[in-house]
Amino acid sequence: MQRPPINLTPNPRVPHTTLHTCDNGTRLYTLHNSKQGVVRVSFIFRAGTSWQSVPFSASATINTLSEGTERFSSLEIAERLDFVGSYFDANIDRDWAVLTYCSLSKFAAETFEIAEQVVLHPTFPEREVGVYCAKRKEQLIVQRSKPDHLSRELFGQSIFGADHPYGITSPAEAYDRLTREDIALFYSTHYTAENCFAVLCGDITEEHIAHTKAILEQLPHGVIDKRTIPAPASTPRAELKVDGAVQSCLKIGRPLFPRTHPDFVPMQIISTALGGYFGSRLMQNLRERHGYTYGAYAAMINLDQSGYFVMSADVASEYTEAAIGEMLHEVERFCSEPMGDNELQMVRNIIFGDVMRIFDGPFGVADVTIENIQNSTDNSYTERFLQQVATCTAEQLQQVAAKYLQKDLLTITTVGE
Amino acid sequence: MIDFKQHTLANGLRVLANRDECSGMAAVNILYAVGSADESAERTGFAHLFEHLMFRGTPAVPSYDTPVQEVCGENNAFTSADYTDFYVTMPKENFETGLWLEADRMRGLNIDAETLEVEKSVVIEEFRQRYLNRPYGEQWHTLRSMVYTTSPYRWPVIGLTPDHIREASVEEVRAFYDRFYIPSGAILSVSADIEPERVFEAAERYFGHLPTLPAPVRGDLHQEPLAGPVRKVIEAPVPADQITIAFLMDRRSERGYYICDLLTDLLAGGESARIFQHLVKQKQIFSAANAYITGEVGEGLLILTGQLCSGVTIEQAEEALYEELRLLSEEPIGEYELQKVKNKFEANITFGELNVMNKAMNLGYYAMLGDMALLNGEIDIYRSITAEEIATYVRTRLVPQRSATLIYRKTK
Repeated sequence: MQRPPINLTPNPRVPHTTLHTCDNGTRLYTLHNSKQGVVRVSFIFRAGTSWQSVPFSASATINTLSEGTERFSSLEIAERLDFVGSYFDANIDRDWAVLTYCSLSKFAAETFEIAEQVVLHPTFPEREVGVYCAKRKEQLIVQRSKPDHLSRELFGQSIFGADHPYGITSPAEAYDRLTREDIALFYSTHYTAENCFAVLCGDITEEHIAHTKAILEQLPHGVIDKRTIPAPASTPRAELKVDGAVQSCLKIGRPLFPRTHPDFVPMQIISTALGGYFGSRLMQNLRERHGYTYGAYAAMINLDQSGYFVMSADVASEYTEAAIGEMLHEVERFCSEPMGDNELQMVRNIIFGDVMRIFDGPFGVADVTIENIQNSTDNSYTERFLQQVATCTAEQLQQVAAKYLQKDLLTITTVGE
Repeated sequence: MIDFKQHTLANGLRVLANRDECSGMAAVNILYAVGSADESAERTGFAHLFEHLMFRGTPAVPSYDTPVQEVCGENNAFTSADYTDFYVTMPKENFETGLWLEADRMRGLNIDAETLEVEKSVVIEEFRQRYLNRPYGEQWHTLRSMVYTTSPYRWPVIGLTPDHIREASVEEVRAFYDRFYIPSGAILSVSADIEPERVFEAAERYFGHLPTLPAPVRGDLHQEPLAGPVRKVIEAPVPADQITIAFLMDRRSERGYYICDLLTDLLAGGESARIFQHLVKQKQIFSAANAYITGEVGEGLLILTGQLCSGVTIEQAEEALYEELRLLSEEPIGEYELQKVKNKFEANITFGELNVMNKAMNLGYYAMLGDMALLNGEIDIYRSITAEEIATYVRTRLVPQRSATLIYRKTK
């Protein structure tokens, strides 16, 4: 059978948002992008874990916002959302805390009524906070018995330093000392007009916009958070022994820079070529050629004032050193020879395809918008990003790789037997 | 609500098409009516191993992934007890590339000793990563073998042991391919901004020449319920004690399936559900708990499970789970609560149909079940279920006499 012709994709169209600025300065971005009868609103606060001074206070704040408000108990909130089939999601990373509500359009009013209470009037009841801390402590202990979780923690500590805001982890016992006052203080300091923006998308109406603005306009003013993240203090190699583990979790990488840095996109292309898709170099080498692993990946991660490059694979214990050798070999190859045209075009297609897939369905566009606003830009960035991916040359990529990925600059962490 | 048209080629390939005018992407899904339930008890894990081999290339297309990536596409696959599903999404202008690739590997796969060896070691690593290298990893192997005595559901999709995968021969792999990977055993579904007629015409062009072979016939899935309770305790270095109770439930096509789906939602569908509110939040018996159904075509499992808070005994935890069942069967379930779980189904169905991939996958799944009316009609079945039906089901079916209980005790 003849292969069908390849239709080269037109550049994906990046939907632009409409900005509404509230009286107190809070920004609401809207996207009317669905006829499917669904709406989604996200409230984004500059309140990630790197802002906390008391261990676990940042995650406890976003996770207990719904545990009781001035008008509704925890159970009433859950009941009301479940009754209309809406759901909410609380998400936190090192820099940001994001609260998202999804609802059928016909039940948006009921859902926004809950969102308003949760965002503006949480009471952090003593009892609920206690239950939360006890539960999370147990869950964390469970997590820390898993090699892959330990591997993530060890890698963060090893590239940034054990006390660095982007590397620190706390003992599970710190949950015993966390109080509702710690949480209430974190909330009042960080959940303010200056620290917030919102994104509303889907099958939205003027009423939905007005309701969201009404919530945002009630956010109190606070101080504008400023900080300087200290320089990372990396260790070249770290190992953690887990008895009886049949696999080793390997991570290799180093701290670099945020997305605003001119070399971020080239590093992202390099990461994709190394381990961002099934045909990537690490997958071909470790999985397809050697059968060391079920999966290997590489990524460039963006943080507010930093970023890092990471390669990762869970390999059979007996192949630990061999797999590290192959991973380093793939990096070296990148530094010493330019990518072929076919591979580079392939990697561009992968990145274009990923962006187009995110734009399929109404909610993905909102996620892209959130990330762009977090990086102090807007959706025109995504167009420039795609342009840069399309024009970056193999020589430029090799230079960037040689600049940042020399072997002695990389940290290697191993968790396993 | 998913609109669709369907058409069957002369060689038996069923084709379904949904037109989505909002999306720039196309999803091409191909479902083969073969899963771990079609394996012999001596070669478990075979269907899943074969899913991996489908990516190993053909004479015409040495690497499946390359042409996909050249058209900005992405693909993946999964295997269940009942079927194996392959999907690819790409900009809609290139949807024929998806059809071309699937037609090519439906009958042209390279199967040789060398590719088989590499893929075996990948699957054995997957076995280790998911089932051996983590706490509670072997729980499904144990639990399934406790409930199922004759049904092929007694082994998990990954297989009983890595040895079965290690021993698979090239001849066995070829025979499996010829028996199941044929037009009459497959369902092709497409969701994109493309006229259904154009999809059918393209399907004819790419798949029409493939041979007409008898459709694979499925063996007996039936499993008799347990005659008395079974119980197993595993002492292991797990982070917390855990209890899991399994009951054999009705087949996918029976009303009891929907009753079980609703009643597990009453117990654990959302923050306000009973198990979460009563046992996690109020009584603090479990740090995490859940109730769900496994959803096979034949008799599947209804599962109640929880990880115990420290200081709670297994006896207390077990009693608490049965107390929730007693409440369901003895105290009338209010109209409000029933309405809540039914609304949730409606919302989840809408949220589950927002992109082309999910729509193409749903089309294939319901065609595999053999009743396309269910695709948009299941919500009416859920809406028709009464509180009395649920109570009766719990009282007669979810009883200790019919239970399998697996307990993990943390070693000191």
